[in-house]
Amino acid sequence: MNTHVGSWVLHRKWILAAVGLPILVAAWWAFRPEKLWINQRVSEPAPFASSTDPQPLYTGRLEGKAHQTSGRATIYRTPDGKQYLRLTDFSTSNGPDVHVVLARSDQANLTQEIVKGQLDSVELGSLKGNEGDQNYDLPVSVDLQKYNAAVIYCERFHAVFGLVRLEQF
Amino acid sequence: MIRNIKTLLALAALAFTFGTSAYAQDNMKHEEKAKTLETGSFHGKVHGTSGRATIYQEADGKLVLRLTNFKTSNGPDVHVILIAAKDADDNANFLKSSTERVELGNLKGNEGDQNYEIPGDTDLSKFQTVSIYCERFDANFGAAPLEKF
Repeated sequence: MNTHVGSWVLHRKWILAAVGLPILVAAWWAFRPEKLWINQRVSEPAPFASSTDPQPLYTGRLEGKAHQTSGRATIYRTPDGKQYLRLTDFSTSNGPDVHVVLARSDQANLTQEIVKGQLDSVELGSLKGNEGDQNYDLPVSVDLQKYNAAVIYCERFHAVFGLVRLEQF
Repeated sequence: MIRNIKTLLALAALAFTFGTSAYAQDNMKHEEKAKTLETGSFHGKVHGTSGRATIYQEADGKLVLRLTNFKTSNGPDVHVILIAAKDADDNANFLKSSTERVELGNLKGNEGDQNYEIPGDTDLSKFQTVSIYCERFDANFGAAPLEKF
C-alpha cells in the first residue's frame, strides 16, 4: 500500500517536471533575465583610417535668436593637439562687428536675444563670412566642459544672432 | 545723359554692395576619407539608452551607421533599425503604428563603438531616425533623430 502511494507521488513529480521545465526554459528564452546583469561591450574601429584626421569632439546645430541663423558647429582636435571650431552648412545675417565666441550654456543672460550685462565668453575671432564653411582656432587652454556653447555674437549691439549647445560627438 | 548713366552706375554699385553677402570657404584641414552625412544623440530613459549615431559615406559610396559612446540595456533579440519618422518615444511599438523601417542587423553589443552597413538604396531623407528595437516585445529601447552634419 505504502509503496503504491509512493510511486504515484513519484509519478506526479515526473509529470510536473516534464511540464514545468519547458515552461521555465521558454520563459528564460523569452526574457533572458540574466542579461540585466551581463553587459556585452564591443569596440569596433571607425570604418576608415582616421588616426591622422582631426577628430570631432563636440557638435550641435545652431539656433537663430536675434537673427535667423542655421548650420552646424563642430569642435575638432588635430593629431598634434590643436583644437578648432568649424562651421558647416552655415548661414546667418550679415552685420557689423559680428564675432564667434564660446560661452557657458547655463548663463541666464544667454536666453535673451540681447545680452544684458557682461557675457562670460572666450573670443574666437571676427566672423569670417555670414555664409559658408569656416574654421576658428581655439585658445590652447580653453575649458570645453565650462564653455560648452558657441555663439554668433554682435559685439556692438550685444545681440545673439544664433547659438548652439555643443554635445559630445 | 552721361551724368544719368553715371548716377545709375553709382546706384547699381551701391545696391551691389548691400545686396551681396560675405562668403567664407575654409577647406577642411585634411582629405576626408569618409564623408559625415548625418548625426544625432540617443535618448531613451526606460532602457537607459545614450550615445551618438552618425552616418558616414565611404569613398566608394557605401553608407555606414556608426554608434559611439553608446550604451543601452541588454535584452533579447535587439536590432538596429532606421525608421521613417522624425523621432520615437520610449517603448514605442512600431508594429502598432505600422512605421516603415530598414533593418540594419542584430545589435552587436549593448555598450561600445560599433558599425552597421546601410543598404545602398536607403532613402535617408525618409528614414530619419535610428532606433534600438527589441523585436521580441516590439519596444523601442532608444532613438536617435538624425540631423544634417
